[in-house]
Amino acid sequence: MESMQRTAVAGLVLAMCLASVAIAESRKEYRYNVGPQANVSVDAQYGAVSVKPGSANQVLITAIAKGDKVDVESQQNGNRVEVGSRLRPGADPQSGRVDYELSVPPDATVHLRSSTGPITADGLQGDVTLEGAGAQVEARNLNRGHLVVQTMSGPITLNNVHNGHVEITSISGDIHLNSVTAQLVKVESTNGRIFYSGDFGSGGDYRFSTHTGDIEALVPASASAEFSAQSLQGQVQNDFPLQPKQHSHISLDATRAFIGTAGKAASAVVMRSFSGKIRLKQR
Amino acid sequence: MTDPKPGSITEAEAIERAKQGDEAAFEILYHLHKRRVYSLCLRMLSNPAQAEDLAQEAFLQLFRKISTFRGESAFSTWLHRMTVNVVLMQLRKKGLPLVSLEETLETEEETPKKELGAQDVKLTGSIDRLQLQRAIDRLPPGYKTVFVLHDVEGFEHNEIAELVGCSIGNSKSQLHKARLKLRDYLKFMRAEKAGNT
Amino acid sequence: MKCADVQRVLPEVIENRQDGELEAHLKSCPACSELVSDLKLISSEARQLSASDEPAPRVWVRIAAELRAEGVIREPEAATPAPATTSRRSWSAWWLVPVAAALLAGASYIVTHKPAPQVAGQQGPAVTTPAAPASQPPATVAQAPAAKASSPQNAKNREVAEASSAEDQQFLSEVSQRAPGMRVTYENQLRSVNNYIRDAQAYLDQNPDDEDARQHLIEAYQQKAMLYQMALDHVQ
Repeated sequence: MESMQRTAVAGLVLAMCLASVAIAESRKEYRYNVGPQANVSVDAQYGAVSVKPGSANQVLITAIAKGDKVDVESQQNGNRVEVGSRLRPGADPQSGRVDYELSVPPDATVHLRSSTGPITADGLQGDVTLEGAGAQVEARNLNRGHLVVQTMSGPITLNNVHNGHVEITSISGDIHLNSVTAQLVKVESTNGRIFYSGDFGSGGDYRFSTHTGDIEALVPASASAEFSAQSLQGQVQNDFPLQPKQHSHISLDATRAFIGTAGKAASAVVMRSFSGKIRLKQR
Repeated sequence: MTDPKPGSITEAEAIERAKQGDEAAFEILYHLHKRRVYSLCLRMLSNPAQAEDLAQEAFLQLFRKISTFRGESAFSTWLHRMTVNVVLMQLRKKGLPLVSLEETLETEEETPKKELGAQDVKLTGSIDRLQLQRAIDRLPPGYKTVFVLHDVEGFEHNEIAELVGCSIGNSKSQLHKARLKLRDYLKFMRAEKAGNT
Repeated sequence: MKCADVQRVLPEVIENRQDGELEAHLKSCPACSELVSDLKLISSEARQLSASDEPAPRVWVRIAAELRAEGVIREPEAATPAPATTSRRSWSAWWLVPVAAALLAGASYIVTHKPAPQVAGQQGPAVTTPAAPASQPPATVAQAPAAKASSPQNAKNREVAEASSAEDQQFLSEVSQRAPGMRVTYENQLRSVNNYIRDAQAYLDQNPDDEDARQHLIEAYQQKAMLYQMALDHVQ
């Protein structure tokens, strides 16, 4: 009997806790009708932001406030939709947290920002800009548009990004690129590491550079690209059977640089570091 | 639940506020027009860094003069003409011809090699945005100017003639030649792509 | 009408002028018909390139810095209340925006100002300072006092280091006031990018013609500009 009472009390306490969690988490939904090539921007401050494609003429935003020191503001200005968190005094990453889930027209231009993240963009065809300080950023299944990602220390992962332009910058976050074929792929870091895995498509211009971060490219035997690697003060290592470049009169220090082609050299891949290690490997 | 108050301001209100020196109003005007201005510069110069510089210059020129804007013509028209002038000025500085000379001899590289079977490739259907961009990038400067102004930006031949300083007939024939060249380039790219795969 | 005549009237045709004779020819000539439809397709598809590209965020940063320096933008308190779009940016430290812009300008300065030919025995001339371009507003970047040093190169470097370290201190104190918890993170990042600048600059001083080192220096400045910009956007 006593144990039943205890269970009931415990259950009541648990129910009250859940209720208070439910109260602390408030959910708001915003819908905006937009035309083609709408512009959507989210400034989350603290919290997760994710975007996926939805209806062709509507932007749907779900804002889930996890803290009590933050308000959500949103507005539409023609074809431009802006939503963001306004922090109240004393807000921190917990009490100021709002998670945003967006569904936007596939051709929309999207700009997402959060200090803590994670930030995720999936399946879009318009231009995408993702900015996070410490936020983990992931972009996948993007096509045609321009992708710009910037983080301070947050790690960045790209999966299946094709066509368009890709510009990635991070100071210390590690950067992983898997199957990224685009006209221009520019990746810059200070001490983060850059990992590339996959083919390079045709006609792509790939430029990876770091200060002390290592650069590693894992490439299938069928790759068609001209590779060049140079480290001013670090080591380079090539395990890929490259053809030496013809007509090259530059004498290279093999421990600091290599250059050569694979297949028809349909793309150009330039890897540069100041003192980070550079390695090209066959997958 | 739909947001009941989308607190927005119109372009006209932003212009009035900008005249008072309100930064937020300038920022709104910038965001409203940045893509068109930057894309125009990028198409004409085919160089992102230079396009950024010129877009910046066009906006600065406009914002410096914003207090004189009386709304006789649309704000966007004013801005776009100003952008074109900034770009053309830059091309003149670089010594590039704004319109191609009719007699200009074409170099070997300009004309795609026909033996690759490009003539058999068909364009019908749609054209990939990136391929079209690349093809435009390859156009000689004069053809590029007229094509971008007319077909991309929607200027009329009489406006182009005035902006560039050529005859209307000249503008028309340049446009036609630009399109013919683009057709060759695009076919060539398709043939090349088909050959690669 | 013959195929050769089509070439003559084509420029007008694409402008949507009707021409009965031409229409008749096109129906019977697949080659001309394909040509006309291709040209129309190119013309119509070109339209999608208008406003197709987004400029990098730095473009607005530079424009705003210039407008502020010229007095076209007036200080927020003098202007009418700002709409919600920009009020989220609560930094009062407006000096930071032009500093970020100056860093970027410094980077582009390195591209355009290559060192003069070397005189034997003399060290390479200064390639850049973040505050170097004359187009930058004078009040935007902390001016270091002219250093008394033996060589112009050393003087320049010291000047840069002092100016940059003064900005950095101001930057960090602003961060610690707003978000004390973030200070260490920003301090570490700042140290990293400053090391990058220092290493690239030192290498370039030794090898003034090394294009790769020059490129690294540009990128190092760009990284630092991004860090400043990020603080503006993320530290509230």
